[in-house]
Amino acid sequence: MAVPISQMYTVATYVLSQKLKRVKRYPLVLMLEPLFRCNLACAGCGKIQYPDHVLDKRLTPEQCWAAAEECGAPMVSIPGGEPLIHPEIAQIIEGLVDRKKYIYLCTNAILLERKLDEYKPSKYLTFSVHMDGLKDEHDLAVCRDGVYDVAVKAIKAAVKRGHRVTTNTTLFDDANPERVRKFFDEMMALGVEGMTISPGYSYQKAPDQQHFLKRARTQELFAKILTRPKSGWQFNQSPLFLDFLMGRREYQCTPWGNPTYNVFGWQKPCYLLQEGYTKTFRELMDLTEWENYGTGRNEKCADCMVHCGYEASAVEDTFSTISGFARTAKLTLSPTSR
Amino acid sequence: MDYGERLLKMTDSKNHTAATSGSLEGRVFTPGSMKEAVEAIELAFDYRGDVTLVLRSGESVAGYIFNRQDDGSDPYLELFPADRPDPRCIPYRDIVTIAFTGADTANGKSWESWVSKKESERRAEAEKCEAVARTKGYL
Repeated sequence: MAVPISQMYTVATYVLSQKLKRVKRYPLVLMLEPLFRCNLACAGCGKIQYPDHVLDKRLTPEQCWAAAEECGAPMVSIPGGEPLIHPEIAQIIEGLVDRKKYIYLCTNAILLERKLDEYKPSKYLTFSVHMDGLKDEHDLAVCRDGVYDVAVKAIKAAVKRGHRVTTNTTLFDDANPERVRKFFDEMMALGVEGMTISPGYSYQKAPDQQHFLKRARTQELFAKILTRPKSGWQFNQSPLFLDFLMGRREYQCTPWGNPTYNVFGWQKPCYLLQEGYTKTFRELMDLTEWENYGTGRNEKCADCMVHCGYEASAVEDTFSTISGFARTAKLTLSPTSR
Repeated sequence: MDYGERLLKMTDSKNHTAATSGSLEGRVFTPGSMKEAVEAIELAFDYRGDVTLVLRSGESVAGYIFNRQDDGSDPYLELFPADRPDPRCIPYRDIVTIAFTGADTANGKSWESWVSKKESERRAEAEKCEAVARTKGYL
């Protein structure tokens, strides 16, 4: 089982408590971006195109902890930029662990092995290593040779020290299903706890605008990749979200599911679109016109099937419908039954 | 004609020069009304580079616009000045011109051009990027 029971229990009780309190919109994962600076410049990334003085800005540990408390989500994902560049990231992580948040520190792993001494293994901390495919595909995606080998070495070192390690993979329209399946085999052989996958989002500011997936092509690609999964594969995400990627379930976006906080404030409306910022989480929830976003509601959302909008929808389905709960239980206990 | 070109017809000052094709870099807008100011600032908000605002006081402010609020009675924008750590709030009514003075960080780095470069050029570019990261201690 990819996700530890304690984490599943925490998320389940959190979601059920929101439902009991009849909260219509609640966050599931805080997307905490402590900086935008990165030591890579990947072609499909639209997160780092800023002037130098903005790239040099960083959230303080206190700002990060306050955001986590204000938001209240049980999980915190830390993308960026490259979080390991942040000089106080270990302190930020320690404070979030103290707050019993399940943290996914998303990293390209270039600095990971060197910095492992700064982290104690914890059920609350997962290193989520960016891996976009086998060596050739990954190094091409990150626009630098040799990064795959560095990341593999760091993953092995982190696993050996008892850390939770997952991979996060973004797929574009040139992905080869057979190569992706082979990539899954290789990642699981490294000893990672599980993998997460998502189609890329067509950031307006990303250099590569031609290789983002359209909706039908996304479903076709993921169906080829995920049909007849191998018994050793573990995915650290909702099985219903994978069904959604394969075109087997239809969801509307839940943009408030993964609210984003960074040096500009709380980002409206989601992790991918930048329509403005609010100073508080409450303002984000109250002032955003949520009905303007999602499939069929906004042209910027037309082809989006990204996890940060739809994984929360899948989790909601699990806890709101008998069919959703039954299917989640079945696929969790028997992943190869897909 | 895209939105930027339509706006240019209305408000672009005569001294602009487009430094890069498809980008607003190098252009200067002088809004003639609040409606035009709203449109120009929307473009500046979407721009991934610094802009320079000339205010009615004569002050010139260069920085990155990261937010704007144009649905209230007194619209304002929020900007990180290039030379100061804290953000600054500026009412639309105080703005005379908006110049796209900083490099457009989202322009001219296409995947296709990267892939189509000669191997030696790609390697040189990768090494340059790596050297910058190393200098800053990020590698």
